[in-house]
Amino acid sequence: MPVQGVKAVTTARNGVGAFILQCKRLDFHYCDWAGSSRGMVAFLKHKLPAIAKENPQIEIRVSPRPHRHPVIKGQYINGREKAICVRNLEPEQIVNKVSLLKEASGEKLKRIKKPVSSINESVRGIWSPFHGEYKGI
Amino acid sequence: MFHRSALARSLGLAEQLCTRPSITRIQASSSPLRNAAASFHQKSHAAQQATQTTTSSSISISSSAPPTPSTTPSTTTTASATQTTQQTKVPPPPQFTTPLKASESLLATLPHLAAQRPHFLTAHIHDRPYLITEGDSVRLPFLMAGVQPGDVLRLNRASVVGSREFSLKGAPFVDERLFECRVRVMGVDAEPLRVKEKTKRRNRHVQRVTSKHRYTLLRVMEVRVKGVEELKEEGVEVVKE
Amino acid sequence: MKRLQLLRWSSSALSARARAGVRLQQNIARGARYQTTVSPAAQSESGQLADEQSFPPQFSSNPQQSKYALPSPPVEAARESAKLAALHARLYLPSRLPLETLARSLVDTSADPNPNFNNESLATLGHDLLTYYTSEHLLCTYPRLPLTVIFAAMYAYVGPKTLTAMAKEWGVETAAAPGGEVDPGLLQFKRLLPGTELNAEGATMRPNAHQKSWRKSITSRIVYDNEFGEQPQTQAPVDAQGAQGVSFERANATFVRALMGSIYLHAGRPAAKRFFEQHFLSRHLNISELFNFSQPARDLSRLCARENFEPPVAKIISETGRKSRHPVFIVGIFSGKDKLGEAAGASLLEARSRAAVAALKGWYLYSPLNVRVPSSTEEEGAAPWKPVHVDLGEVIV
Repeated sequence: MPVQGVKAVTTARNGVGAFILQCKRLDFHYCDWAGSSRGMVAFLKHKLPAIAKENPQIEIRVSPRPHRHPVIKGQYINGREKAICVRNLEPEQIVNKVSLLKEASGEKLKRIKKPVSSINESVRGIWSPFHGEYKGI
Repeated sequence: MFHRSALARSLGLAEQLCTRPSITRIQASSSPLRNAAASFHQKSHAAQQATQTTTSSSISISSSAPPTPSTTPSTTTTASATQTTQQTKVPPPPQFTTPLKASESLLATLPHLAAQRPHFLTAHIHDRPYLITEGDSVRLPFLMAGVQPGDVLRLNRASVVGSREFSLKGAPFVDERLFECRVRVMGVDAEPLRVKEKTKRRNRHVQRVTSKHRYTLLRVMEVRVKGVEELKEEGVEVVKE
Repeated sequence: MKRLQLLRWSSSALSARARAGVRLQQNIARGARYQTTVSPAAQSESGQLADEQSFPPQFSSNPQQSKYALPSPPVEAARESAKLAALHARLYLPSRLPLETLARSLVDTSADPNPNFNNESLATLGHDLLTYYTSEHLLCTYPRLPLTVIFAAMYAYVGPKTLTAMAKEWGVETAAAPGGEVDPGLLQFKRLLPGTELNAEGATMRPNAHQKSWRKSITSRIVYDNEFGEQPQTQAPVDAQGAQGVSFERANATFVRALMGSIYLHAGRPAAKRFFEQHFLSRHLNISELFNFSQPARDLSRLCARENFEPPVAKIISETGRKSRHPVFIVGIFSGKDKLGEAAGASLLEARSRAAVAALKGWYLYSPLNVRVPSSTEEEGAAPWKPVHVDLGEVIV
């Protein structure tokens, strides 16, 4: 057999063809009694329905968690979770936190120095010392 | 950022063109070419169409918003267009007063470049160069205003467009009608919290300054050099040298 | 009233066909399809008839009955599932595709053996669509690829591993165990028992299949084996209750195929094609990494002889440190005055064989410009079909 095939798996490039939002679920935890949840309760009553309608691709769960500070948790496609404590925050501030969770990629925060990262081969090839005429020093 | 007049002078371009690196924003729809140009720095959201076209997954986030009554008149082109409240106007399509001028030598050598794949492109955003190919992900060193995850932008400022053996260099920029480059906004990333410790001499107090910047993530969807036939269809003016 | 679970009854009450399991039947039918010229539609109809005969009329789920008695979630539950609606919106599925069908495509045969409620039929359709679109893309884009590499590329694009990865990247979660009370947005399948052998080979039409040591030619792989050039795998053995478990990978792959099939059924061919292009073709695959040559220099000389090129000659282009510990040789392979390939190596032989590999890849990876595929003529107002490049095929050594 002259040539054999090597089994491989294609690599995902989210966004090149289809775009999948990485945030798949948002959990809202609140307390009915505590004062630190006052903003959260107002948010759940007035702001959340519109946000849920705007983002149908995110599953939204609301559950009470008595005697605890209110928390928003985002579940991501890569399996990670981001949790933000929203105690004593106003509803408008909570909207910002929700949009933060929505737009995040779910990856751990890293310090990146190079702006472009690529999995393609170099288009122009790699420089070789064995090619091209000798220029002298 | 830079002085717009200085840049305009140095580039010899119309000042209006040079003010900011304009990024043409296209309507995300299944038909790829429905351009509507606007600089992204405009506060206005591009009013996206709300046609939930069958499997158009390039649809933008704002388009899945519920139809809300808007005070401004609808200016979108699609039939079932709806507008959300924060969207005020559609970015105007690029206005070219003169047809694209190409020399005979360019038209003679362009097929070599167009036929050799893959292509790379040095795109300029806010005057910073990014060498990109198709499928690359770019983390811009700033937070782009007025975009949402899923939006598609068209980059129209490139200094070099090339392949393995050929490259087309602009002076300073390649005409945006010669190539197509689309990127998708993937979301917003943040860096880890940075803590800078500031001290004064002969004082035990240490001031800790924190910062945590946010950056926009992009994914290059398409890098394509137009062929000569395509340019001729769009109306290219051949200039004798 | 409880739905009839025929497959769970004692085997004496059932015909051999119903017991064999639908998946096995499908594999046999697919093998038979390669053997004949009858259109697949006619065959699937006859297959469906056989199914209907083996299953007496079913009772649709009754709202009064307990959800716990059902093997998979009732149809009405699809409208109430947040997970399902989120998945629908996340994939930007067409609005014509109802949530109920999406829920059905998440139910594996192992969870609900009733073909009216599981994704078996959708997966069969989706599988055929996926393999058709992928193969036409590969054959038109790279007309000279050797068949083994086409098999490998098919596996890379629509193989079970890739489909499983895609289901994960879509955010599909799996249920711990199937049942009527489970959220219909979860993938439902019965898991394999520990210790089950995974790679048992299934039924095949190949004659002398029991002769394991016999060589399998490429041509026979096209005829007898599946689209990846492998013998199809069998179903897991039947457990005590009579239901079969499937592996995680297989359940996920079946779901992705079923989703493709349901998009085709509800939203039509253009939507299915677009879904395929956006989710499958947009993934990254470097085809030049799929080659594994055993004797590249020999292949290249055969190729040059076939194509009436001058016989290939290897020449040193540049070298350094021949007597040192790590020499580098740059060897080019020339046919007459044309350089076919060039590579670097630590020894002359290594550099020569690398250069031959480069030359062969340059030949096999030829790709015409502005490729069209046959299915692009199906759209309205499409330009008439122009024949694409058809190659002689790989060299036979």
